[in-house]
Amino acid sequence: MYQQSREEVIRRQQEEMLELSTPVVQIWEGILALPLIGTLDSARTSVMMETLLQKIVETRSELAIIDITGVPTVDTLVAQHLLKTVAAARLMGADCLISGIRPQIAQTMVHLQIDLSEVTTKATLAEALRFALKRSGRPTQSKDSRE
Amino acid sequence: MDRIPAPMDRIPILRMGDLLLVTIQVDMHDRLASALQDDLTGKIAEVSAKGVLIDISSLDIVDSFIGRMLANTSAMARVLGAEAVVVGMQPAVAITLVELGVNLSGVHTALDVEKGVEMLRNRIGFPERDDTDVRF
Repeated sequence: MYQQSREEVIRRQQEEMLELSTPVVQIWEGILALPLIGTLDSARTSVMMETLLQKIVETRSELAIIDITGVPTVDTLVAQHLLKTVAAARLMGADCLISGIRPQIAQTMVHLQIDLSEVTTKATLAEALRFALKRSGRPTQSKDSRE
Repeated sequence: MDRIPAPMDRIPILRMGDLLLVTIQVDMHDRLASALQDDLTGKIAEVSAKGVLIDISSLDIVDSFIGRMLANTSAMARVLGAEAVVVGMQPAVAITLVELGVNLSGVHTALDVEKGVEMLRNRIGFPERDDTDVRF
């Protein structure tokens, strides 16, 4: 009896955690942040990416920061999802940065030969925000990075 | 005897000063796409348009044909001296195009018409004032 309810509690908490880790937050006018937490699997990453793209449309944000500080490991499949999201956002007219890349993950990504040449990456969310603010703070400058 | 195309067979092109706006709402097939390219390139030349907005916010599915059509149309506009921007791409469409690996590297994009106009203005500037004075 005790065993059963303990398992139920664990299961319920896992479900809650799943829902908790997908919020897209607007951290500035026109800038969204998606802090990813925990081990990412293909399905979860896919859902979160769609949510981000949808929020970009809803809020008309031209910049999104995907922060992976809370992600312990990144494998090829997850990296492909991230890159796909960045490419899709760019096609829509927005730009994605990836931040919170830990040294270990940076090494893994290079070893896996994941091509990050098309993506702006920053070590911390703060750096990414600074970059994003600089970008959006000059309306007279040509925003043609979506070529 | 040649059949004169009914209005429904061609996509309307709206003019806003030195900008042209095209809204794609229906499935594009070969004939419609080439009619659009004919009409658009003709119009760009006729009014010396400096910018073209291609609104695809009504499209919720695409294929590589549409992707190529957008890329080609942008290129044609550029050759004629106009900058093109594709606006309103839906997330599902963007994901599809990425997965299909369609090369859209020469195509400018913006989230909506308003941002599209802003982008165009940053690139092409504002028209010189004259008595018709339409400013967007």
